[in-house]
Amino acid sequence: MKKYISQQNLNTLLDNLIAEGRRVVAPRMSAGIPLYEPLTSSTEMVTGLLPRRSAKEAFFPVCEELMSYEKEGQQVKLTDVDPARFPETVLVGVRPCDAVAIPVLDAVFSWDYKDEFFLERRRKTTIIGLACTTADDACFCTAVGLSPTETRGSDLFLTPLVGGGYAFESCSAKGEQLITNHKELFTGQTKAKTLPLAAPQTEKIDVKKVKGWLDEHFEDPLWDGVAVRCVGCGACAFVCPACHCFDIVDEGTEKAGKRRKSWDACGFWKFTHHASGHNPRDLQPKRYRNRIMHKFKYYNDKFGQTLCTGCGRCVRICPVGIDIKAIIDTIMNSEC
Amino acid sequence: MNNQPIDTSIYSTISEAIQTEAARVLSAGEVTAIVGYAAGRRKGSAQPIIITDHDDAKKLIFTPACVNNLAVYLTKAKKEIPKTGKVGIVAKGCDLKALVGLMGESQLKHEDLYLIGIPCVGVLASTVQPATELTTETIASKCCECDAHLPTGCDFVPDVALPPPPQLEGKYPAEIARLEALAPAERWAYWKEQFAKCIKCYACRQVCPFCFCEQCLCDRNRPQMVETTPRPAGNTAWHIVRAMHLAGRCAGCAECERVCPMDIPLNLLNRKMAKELKELFDYEAGFEVNDRGPLTTYTEKDDQSFIK
Repeated sequence: MKKYISQQNLNTLLDNLIAEGRRVVAPRMSAGIPLYEPLTSSTEMVTGLLPRRSAKEAFFPVCEELMSYEKEGQQVKLTDVDPARFPETVLVGVRPCDAVAIPVLDAVFSWDYKDEFFLERRRKTTIIGLACTTADDACFCTAVGLSPTETRGSDLFLTPLVGGGYAFESCSAKGEQLITNHKELFTGQTKAKTLPLAAPQTEKIDVKKVKGWLDEHFEDPLWDGVAVRCVGCGACAFVCPACHCFDIVDEGTEKAGKRRKSWDACGFWKFTHHASGHNPRDLQPKRYRNRIMHKFKYYNDKFGQTLCTGCGRCVRICPVGIDIKAIIDTIMNSEC
Repeated sequence: MNNQPIDTSIYSTISEAIQTEAARVLSAGEVTAIVGYAAGRRKGSAQPIIITDHDDAKKLIFTPACVNNLAVYLTKAKKEIPKTGKVGIVAKGCDLKALVGLMGESQLKHEDLYLIGIPCVGVLASTVQPATELTTETIASKCCECDAHLPTGCDFVPDVALPPPPQLEGKYPAEIARLEALAPAERWAYWKEQFAKCIKCYACRQVCPFCFCEQCLCDRNRPQMVETTPRPAGNTAWHIVRAMHLAGRCAGCAECERVCPMDIPLNLLNRKMAKELKELFDYEAGFEVNDRGPLTTYTEKDDQSFIK
């Protein structure tokens, strides 16, 4: 027997949470594309589509205000944004390839500097993961040691069942708490079978071997070969569940304005452009190399984790067909 | 109209012809590199490739997944491509219009290029998987309005009989008419919703052959000309700046719209500008080099009714 929650009860849960004033974020259609956005009703949630942007934006928004300033005469008034005002949130319908990236990001946002903007949202969010039933040939979660039923990153995990509804399992104290608070909705039992799960068929990545190669090949003809066609946009980094670089700019007038943090990407020419005019990554292959190095070497060196969950978003959206899985396969199969 | 398959049987002959010609001109030293398409890892996928060795000519393909406008690789925005001599480039009609536009703007010279023109019945929409069959429903929107199936003025065009292209209704005129008919507030609401999705990844700019500025005004921060953060105000400013800068220059390859990861219908802006240019200056992008663009020249016949 599996613990069971019907679709109707799940909808009731979400609607009750919204009524209580929680922010409920889930995949919904937004101007023609699926995005993780706050719901006004449970009926807005769509579950069959991978959102174009990952779930990271629930903690690390595309753009957020850090503080504001006003100047009058010689007086400058600075106003901080108070993270205590971030709303209690339930993030629901999260694909395993997105959910698993969130604890990966915890490592960097709570490293030498504790990013209170990320961490406060993280503390206030309960994540309901959803097992994945659709994959295409860009998906490769199974190649990086994950799976369509990976529960890491989720507080509560749902698996869709034949005939509707979900098997549920609690994966953390937050998940337990959610069930306890709404226990009348979580009483079901069922023998129904799980819907057929997604099964990306792709060559496994030996993360150690790849890192070993990267350790020795900062300079390699591979980089020119794969990256000469990179046009230097930020699409791959922006749709990635694990990329986390950001820029901080002050925008406004001399009288008043705001300090804002927004997503940045190592593919951009100006990412490493120094004030002096020098750019240590002066050509695109050096920038693309950083993308691979950061994902499969630097993050492993520092945090012992890989910065890629195999969601395949970058493979699908790259304007020039750059395929990170194909590049890693090339590295895996290289002799030296 | 029902979903009908589109006959792409000429594409295999075209692929062979490109391979043979690329090997020939590389071996003969007529060019130092060829920019073309090669197969990717995913079934049916294609991606840009730059080859310099005639042995690599066999990698070149042409299929309905060859969507890119390769002209971007010849602009000064792409410093990585060594300009060591004459470069060959594979170009569909829509891509050729961009190359011709760049010649008109003194960015390229035909004598530095070896143009391999592709007789084309269409390529796939960005919304479908690369292995999808080309049909009247899976074809890219721009191809429905194509008037450039057979490029002219090229150095080499594979000798194939172009089947009559399918007669398709383009989505852009109807969509422009729909938006023009809206009240300004409704039209504003439409674009506001679209631009709200923008994440400032600049894929639209980076694939555009005409976005060849070595430093984009919108990247400047001393002083900041346009807000760089992805917020409604800066996003809207960015897309309007770009549409205006491309007016009278955009060749209609629709790459900006194809690559937008947020599906912002950017080509609508460019088609609207093209419509205005046609009405006001009788200008259209074509295969003839024109070094006097409609907005860089003044004639006494120019419409001045906007001066009030």
